[in-house]
Amino acid sequence: MFLIGENLNVMSKKLGEAFLNRDAGPIRKMAEAEAEAGMDMIDLNIGPARKTGPDFMEWLVGVVQEVTDLPLSLDTSNIEAIEAGLKKVRTRPLINSISARPERMEALMPMAKKYGAPFIGLTLSAEGIPRDANERGLCAAEILAAAASHGVAEEDIWIDPIVLPVNTQQLQIQGCTEFVMMLSDIAPSSKSTCGLSNVSNGVPAHLRGIMNRTYLMMLKRYGMYSAIVDAFDNELRAIARGEMPGLEALIHRVMDGEDLDVSKLSKEESDYVRTARVLMGQTLYSDSWLEI
Amino acid sequence: MAFEIPKIKYTGKIREVQLGTGAKAVRIGGANCYPFHRFEGDMPNVPRVAFEVWDSSPEEWQQWAIEPYGDVLSDPVAWARKCVDTYGAEMIVLQLRSADPNGENKGVEEVVEVVKKVADAIDVPLLVWGTANDEKDGELLRRVAEACEGRNVAVGPVSDKNYKQIGAMAIGYSQVVMASSPIDVNLAKQLNILLGNLGVNEEKVVIDPTTGGLGYGLEYTYSVMERDRMAALTQEDAKLQFPIICNLAPEVWKTRETRLTKDEDPKLGDEKRRSILMEAVTAMTLLVAGADIVVMRHPDSVSLVRDMIGELCA
Repeated sequence: MFLIGENLNVMSKKLGEAFLNRDAGPIRKMAEAEAEAGMDMIDLNIGPARKTGPDFMEWLVGVVQEVTDLPLSLDTSNIEAIEAGLKKVRTRPLINSISARPERMEALMPMAKKYGAPFIGLTLSAEGIPRDANERGLCAAEILAAAASHGVAEEDIWIDPIVLPVNTQQLQIQGCTEFVMMLSDIAPSSKSTCGLSNVSNGVPAHLRGIMNRTYLMMLKRYGMYSAIVDAFDNELRAIARGEMPGLEALIHRVMDGEDLDVSKLSKEESDYVRTARVLMGQTLYSDSWLEI
Repeated sequence: MAFEIPKIKYTGKIREVQLGTGAKAVRIGGANCYPFHRFEGDMPNVPRVAFEVWDSSPEEWQQWAIEPYGDVLSDPVAWARKCVDTYGAEMIVLQLRSADPNGENKGVEEVVEVVKKVADAIDVPLLVWGTANDEKDGELLRRVAEACEGRNVAVGPVSDKNYKQIGAMAIGYSQVVMASSPIDVNLAKQLNILLGNLGVNEEKVVIDPTTGGLGYGLEYTYSVMERDRMAALTQEDAKLQFPIICNLAPEVWKTRETRLTKDEDPKLGDEKRRSILMEAVTAMTLLVAGADIVVMRHPDSVSLVRDMIGELCA
């Protein structure tokens, strides 16, 4: 899987101040660390950045490019900031993102065409976040049609099904998973990605990793092409690189409805099985899901 | 081939919980099917109505809510007795309004004295409802649990902030806890897990899903209760297999629609009839969603609800 590091994020507790003060040191260090960790791309999330968007993105791209040649994902809702980033990058970047809202598509798709940049198509419409797999499909179809009309190739569209937090939106997880299963039929040449860590947003901090990794295995099985991930989760990277086939096979068995006896598994395996059951909607989520 | 009515396949069962002691003790829960789906399973204990009694004279009640109680409203003991003797209450919920830190903020011991007097005056089960202020309830309800030793009362609302304090005393004095979570099925489950880890017996837990009144969030409570029951009965979720209580009376009777008179807004119709129907419809809706106990105020609304339970369980 193609991995995009999520750690350069304006909301980050660790780097928030560095972003605020335009302190290049910690930013550079993080970019280096993500590159060393083996990321294929680095996401630059500057948030809405309403006032200083273009300058901020230009500065950030410049700082990161001092230390790495990895392609960058320009992550902001500020359209001018995206264009500033597109002008500054050395390597072909990724626009993150264009939703199915008409005004976003009108403004950003010509830009994608002009700069020859692929983009993340976020399955979010004027009506908000889709409620199930079919509504996601509808959003994706709108994005694909609009992109075609702007002359953007299907292979340059990375559909993002919107991963929602399992602790408050457990039913939505299945909608997201199902949609990923359908996507290869809807648009065989398109790519896909997602903000994986959102699945564990609000989950106790020490348990976020296993939730993220389990969901990655599930999405990977259905052909998810890429994910925006915590660059420093070693086990997650190993899974993405196909280095943990045993664990993946175990998760597939849960996905296939096999009734596994967790008492016969190792602690690690049984934790993964329990987590997969939560993500499949077989067990109702609670913060103590590994203990019961 | 003859038509066969499709039936839901249940795999779980709600635990039975006993409230009170002696001849008037009440058992709730025990169903292995959705509420009133008696064509699919057993519902060994019918849902119950609990009458609410306040521990201090209510200042802001509508005239038509005061009417059935009259002068006993200033005396919680007489009030509780009237509910039992006149209106046939099968259980009493004593609402400890006077302890509310945002109100009278009476001291713990003063409040507990009243609880003891009410407990002594009735033979039906007593449920004691605190202030919903985590800190105050942490102190108050643990003392209530202690003071009511031997009576098998229920204390609540118990939250994830004060479950250790209250839960420990409930274990020590063998009382029931009402585990309260803010209209959220995942948080309800988590609190029940925490109570279990603490050592609270599984026959001593009732769920309070947090209740909204008709027009004021009832539908949220309804869908959370539906999901509670689906998880408990069809997904074998042991941590949600507990009876449910809905403390609806204060929610219904504080709404604008139970306060405005016909003169103030003629299109709303007669205020007494309207309020009674709002309370009855709220209770009926929650019963259909899975409530085992509904806490109510007006005897006329209670009659309507009892009729409904009677017909559905005939």
